[in-house]
Amino acid sequence: MFKMFKAATINKEVEIMKRFAVVIALAVMGFFCWSGVGFSQAIESEFYLITPVSKDVHDPALKAFAAYVKKKYNVDLKTSAMPQGTPVAYGQIVEWKGKPQADVFWGGEGTLFDLLAEQGLLDKVRIPKAMWDEIPATIGKPIGLPLKDPKGFWVGTTLEPYGLIYQPKLLKRLGVELKDWEDLLNPKLKGQIAQCTPDRSSSSHASYEVILAMYGWEKGWDWLSRLAANTGIFTARSRDVPSVVSKGEFAVGMAVPSYMAFAEVLGGYDIMFVYPKNAYVTPEPMAVLKGAPHPKAAHAFIEFLLTEEGQRIFMERGLYPITAKYKVQGAPGSAAEKAVQFTAGIRSFYDIQVGNVYDPKVAGDKKRNSDVNAYFRKEIAEKHKDLIKGK
Amino acid sequence: MSAENTVALPKPSVWADVKPSGFLSYGLIWVFFIVFLIYPLIRLFYDSFTTETGILTIANFQDFFTDAFYLKTLINSLVLGVATVMTTSIIGIAIAFLLLRYDFPGRGLFSYLTIIPMIMPPLVGVMGFVFILGRAGTVNIILQDYFGFTQPINFMYGLHGVLLVETLHLFPLMTLSIVDAMGKISPSLDEAAESVGSRGVRKFWDITFPLTTPGYVSGALLVFIWTFADFATPLVVGISDLLASQAYLNIVQFVDRRLFKMGIVISAIMVILAILFLIIAKKYVSIKDYSSLSYSVIERRKLSPLAQLGAISFMGFILVLAFIPYLGLVLDSFGKGWALTPFPVKYTLQYFERVAFETPKFIINSLLFSGISVVICIAVGVPVAWVMSRTKLPGRGVLDSLTTLILALPGTGIGIAYMRAFRDPAPFMTTALIGMWIIIPIVLAVRRLPYTVRGTFASLLIVHRSFEEAAESVGATKPRTFKDVTLPLIWKGVLVGSLYSFILALQEASATLLLVIPGHEMMTVGIFNFYIGGSVNEAAALGVILIVLGAACLFIINRLAGSKMGGVFG
Repeated sequence: MFKMFKAATINKEVEIMKRFAVVIALAVMGFFCWSGVGFSQAIESEFYLITPVSKDVHDPALKAFAAYVKKKYNVDLKTSAMPQGTPVAYGQIVEWKGKPQADVFWGGEGTLFDLLAEQGLLDKVRIPKAMWDEIPATIGKPIGLPLKDPKGFWVGTTLEPYGLIYQPKLLKRLGVELKDWEDLLNPKLKGQIAQCTPDRSSSSHASYEVILAMYGWEKGWDWLSRLAANTGIFTARSRDVPSVVSKGEFAVGMAVPSYMAFAEVLGGYDIMFVYPKNAYVTPEPMAVLKGAPHPKAAHAFIEFLLTEEGQRIFMERGLYPITAKYKVQGAPGSAAEKAVQFTAGIRSFYDIQVGNVYDPKVAGDKKRNSDVNAYFRKEIAEKHKDLIKGK
Repeated sequence: MSAENTVALPKPSVWADVKPSGFLSYGLIWVFFIVFLIYPLIRLFYDSFTTETGILTIANFQDFFTDAFYLKTLINSLVLGVATVMTTSIIGIAIAFLLLRYDFPGRGLFSYLTIIPMIMPPLVGVMGFVFILGRAGTVNIILQDYFGFTQPINFMYGLHGVLLVETLHLFPLMTLSIVDAMGKISPSLDEAAESVGSRGVRKFWDITFPLTTPGYVSGALLVFIWTFADFATPLVVGISDLLASQAYLNIVQFVDRRLFKMGIVISAIMVILAILFLIIAKKYVSIKDYSSLSYSVIERRKLSPLAQLGAISFMGFILVLAFIPYLGLVLDSFGKGWALTPFPVKYTLQYFERVAFETPKFIINSLLFSGISVVICIAVGVPVAWVMSRTKLPGRGVLDSLTTLILALPGTGIGIAYMRAFRDPAPFMTTALIGMWIIIPIVLAVRRLPYTVRGTFASLLIVHRSFEEAAESVGATKPRTFKDVTLPLIWKGVLVGSLYSFILALQEASATLLLVIPGHEMMTVGIFNFYIGGSVNEAAALGVILIVLGAACLFIINRLAGSKMGGVFG
């Protein structure tokens, strides 16, 4: 077998071998450090996250957690995040087969977390009972969206609506008002809408399911085709939608997670958020992976995010508290108050009527998922040009 | 080794003066080519012709060729490639002619400025266009605010936008190829033609055209392949029905195995097409065709004042267009919250601070990896060029073909081939090669190797053999001769070739994006990450830094190489 290996003779390979030796040496050193402190310590000194929640939010959350660990345990915590889209993160965790390289999976749909729990890839969440009980079981009517797993494998961390966004100056110039889904079909918005394709973005996918649930399969697709006729761009990534709307390239964005758009406001752009009827609200579920390399830090992270301090991080970034206990509030001109203005006055999702027609049992099905994507590709993406022309 | 010896024995003349060390070096070059070029490509083809379980099949290709959508992407890609070749030909050739044949004020400056557009940071280069020419770009805002337009003009969103960007980015490649080819035409031929009454169009058709064809064809091939392999530009302007975009989009999602396989199949198709184009163009683009290498001094004609004005305004116009992305990027990298105004209202340094001081790793990694790749390029490329110009070793024809093949290979294809080829740990190692940072400089080196080889080869042909023979006749060894005689004479060519390799390595963003290793991101990856993370301003700031670095390198090249700068593209 060794004879077969020609590559070892090249110079470059020698470099690799040297590097490899260094890695081994570091790993051995690391092992000693770790084993020296591992037993008695209340918390590990490292923590890894795998998440579709973008840097806008996971970065400050990790920084605040590190500071909290320093204060509480006097440990210098090294944190790191693997930013992956929801389906990719899910695939990666399954691929790890119980030997994960991350501690916590954060964000996406509850249904995926249920699937992971069924495969025995999650640990039960360990947080104080009072904290667990504060979080309602579901939100929304007529169908309640679960905010935590009755079996205890995952828990919601924050409320995040997938809504509509617009560039106020541009919308005014067009003479259009945006209050609900139907306004998107206004002929004046022709070519002005930006959306991400549902096969590449879970927020877009969930919003398509909301439309299909509201109108039924046939009429729902008809509605979505008319939306496509008004659509100027299908972006490759959901994060591109707020980027192009904030720049004024397009007037309206569809199915945008509130915090992604609010990040643009914090960056100095002018952009507004609309929470349309029955829009999907995700609890951004969080779970500890079974066999996590740093389980203590993992459970501590969840607990931290559910404290008032943790919830504040969300409230200052366009997200909403997971319990009725807190409201988005701050000094005039603060980020929290800007966020309230941004959503036209919403301070808590427990203050307003939350409609929900999205049924996780229907939409969570694997076959249904690929059916929706396939239909989109055949009937909308490939016919987009014809749809614009009005056939 | 014994096998090679038996091959060598019947032809002692070829191997007679090859020492064991030389033999070993030649072997190492071949190992490099086999491991890092041939094997990944074979692996890519193997994957595309098998099922997930390894059974041989052509079903994957059937899927592709029976799907109307994929067929449309194939046609779109071909149409876009051909259209770009046409537009760049018109602009590139016109500029090459003006620069070479005529004298007018600012000619020297123009000859430097017209190669600058080659530097285009991925993704944000297009964003730069969008900031100025987009629906809410400077031009449209001015038209609406001051000229009463009610609807923005759509310059960018659609295939025509991609064509615009690719044209203004790639015409310098064409100019360089033509400049190089025309530089090799002896003026005596021109005079001969004129003495028998051949002038103007007739002379162009009979003399100039046939002699510049090789340069033109290789330039056209480069432009075509570049456009063909670019997936980032179309995505920014909302176009995804192109081959490269589909390959990328299908590969980066790991969930749907059928789509993933399709990504591999599309890459294989792109590589096959590239090889096909190369075979068609082979007659013209072989390195061996450097027949006359005395760069002739062309007498430039002085233009009449009116014609001067025409020449200057034509080039000025093209340059203004080609510099649009730079303007857009600079404005966006300093402007805060810039939207719906012709120019930013507030300015800040925070984006540069973030990319240059808070996270300098992108810049450092870029310089480091591109530097290492240039070292590899020289270590492999200079011997290859030397073997081709100075020896009759068997296999050098194949080396020539392989080097030329690299030029034609789409980066997306190479990236995906590497992903498949090096994903399992090699013997003796626990980590797969795609998990190690060294893979990045290696793939950069492989992709940019032809520039070093060509630069060196061209210089070697100019150095007369007799210098070396003189040294050898007084007892100098081959390596010694190379070091003391040849190298001092060719270092410029090697350096120019290497600098090109360096610039192109700096902005490579197809293979490296697919092979990105966490913690070892280059600038292009940083641009991509910032961009998809929504921090467009930071991405723009990194883009500006990349442009400045590239322009500095080009300036040095221009100084060193003068009119010969096209040599590496010949």
